[in-house]
Amino acid sequence: MMLVGIFSLVATYIGDDHFHTRFWSNVLHNSVFFTGVALMALFLLAAKITAWSGWHTIFKRVWEAYSLFLVVGLVLIMIIALGIWGGWHHLYHWADIKSVESDVILTGKSSFLNKNWYTFGSLLFVGLWVFFAIRIRQLSVDEDINGDSNFTHARKMRVLGAAALPVIGFTSAALIWQWVMSVDAHWYSTLFAWYASASMMVTMIALTIITLIMLKVRGYFPLVNIEHLHDLGKYMFAFSIFWTYLWFSQYMLIWYANIPEETIYFNTRLHQYPVLFYLNIGLNFVLPFLVLLRNDTKRKYGTLLFISCVLVFSHWLDFFLMLKPGIIHTAHELAAAAGEAGHHTAGATPGFTLPGFLEIGTFIGFLGLFFFVVFNRLEKASLVPSRDPYLMESVSHHT
Amino acid sequence: MKHGEKNILFGLYDDEEDLKKAVVQANQDHLDIMDVLTPFPVHGLDPLLGLAESRLHIAGFVFGLTGTLTAFLGMTWIFTRDWPNIFGGKPYWPILSFVPISFELTVLFASIGMVVTFYIVNGQGPGIKNPVIHPRITDDKFCIAFNTDHLGDAQVSKLRNFFQQTGASLVETKTI
Repeated sequence: MMLVGIFSLVATYIGDDHFHTRFWSNVLHNSVFFTGVALMALFLLAAKITAWSGWHTIFKRVWEAYSLFLVVGLVLIMIIALGIWGGWHHLYHWADIKSVESDVILTGKSSFLNKNWYTFGSLLFVGLWVFFAIRIRQLSVDEDINGDSNFTHARKMRVLGAAALPVIGFTSAALIWQWVMSVDAHWYSTLFAWYASASMMVTMIALTIITLIMLKVRGYFPLVNIEHLHDLGKYMFAFSIFWTYLWFSQYMLIWYANIPEETIYFNTRLHQYPVLFYLNIGLNFVLPFLVLLRNDTKRKYGTLLFISCVLVFSHWLDFFLMLKPGIIHTAHELAAAAGEAGHHTAGATPGFTLPGFLEIGTFIGFLGLFFFVVFNRLEKASLVPSRDPYLMESVSHHT
Repeated sequence: MKHGEKNILFGLYDDEEDLKKAVVQANQDHLDIMDVLTPFPVHGLDPLLGLAESRLHIAGFVFGLTGTLTAFLGMTWIFTRDWPNIFGGKPYWPILSFVPISFELTVLFASIGMVVTFYIVNGQGPGIKNPVIHPRITDDKFCIAFNTDHLGDAQVSKLRNFFQQTGASLVETKTI
């Protein structure tokens, strides 16, 4: 899978315009997407620890392994940050000094949208996440060997989990603004960070279901049964509705207020990306709502696996729709400024208005990288945390 | 014995695991359980008793759909036929601003409808008194009750035997 990804990346790089917009936007898209998945795994793990929850304990190593992908995510984001310093790409309008000087809105935002904040903010915040992920993982693995009857490890994890929650809550919003929302540097939306987080959360849960079923088919996790998957299915259902709620809140408020500087965001997406725009709602809301509404569809491997696969892909499309219009707009402006009228073409551009084969190849590549890291981490420790105080609660879990 | 009353024989258990074992035993002995009463929902009891899955959620879905349609069609009629008005430069038929209200009415109809259905199906309601077999069923005891109206002495003593074997802490008769 990773070979497909590398081939796609190279092919994109060669066949690209001289800004390499397509190449870099694909890298950004997938890096942010999978880093977000890892972050949400850490977030849910921290939330479960803080809530003294036990039903997930039997497969919590999966989420721990997911959260460790943050290390790779940090590297990926740093490559993009380096690109801003080195001028390798032009993903962000605010990174272009000439545009910022001549643009009042960009000048006004330059105290937050600048390369120092981008680089060192990401470094610091993702660094914090990595710290929490590694520390929780260390404690959890150490508990298998040195766990005592005072539950020292579990107590330490509770402190870490409670500390991680506010940190993730605030920093994730700042970084989503920087990474994703700032591709439309003129536009902002207060709830954008939650909307993007909800997208990542659904993906994370869908990937968890896929991973668990994959491992179960191969004979691992004999004690994970349909009760656990049923609860994950409920989560997937609930967060799909939550995603829709945020999507709709954002859309309806902007539609109702009808302020041009805000509506431009949806104007672009509705008129230049009509297929993706409606597909987004259809696949991320209507389909999971109608299919997962019933009790028994959440208790069958087939339907769960099908919906999970669709949701992973369609939330990836959601991120595509968040990122690409802003990026191609920036590229057009810069090309026009550089006097290259040839790039200012309207109409369909593969890789920007619709994901082409190379985008899907890149997605598969990053998915391969993600699972490579996850399974690599998974095999380093026993799959079942044998001395976790909540293990028995998880084994006898019954909905 | 007044009309509609029945004689029952019931046993109280201290633990829900004892209760579940007793129900399994009763199934094996082909005893006709009238009712099982517990202070809280016991996981895994429904399949043992052979209860069918509740159809309340289907009723809920229908009520919800009714709510959605009431709100949506109602507003559509008001804003396009009955009293067309322009609000904030929006079209006469602004579907988007109908969504929150349709959602609210969906929830309202579904919840109230399900509560009313639940009460009707269970014969509950204001002013209706239900017999309490034993006060501690609402606290910490688990009860199996048999209807003994048409049973002979031999059968009743068989039931008492059953309670003794399965470890009931209290066995009594009562007319309710």
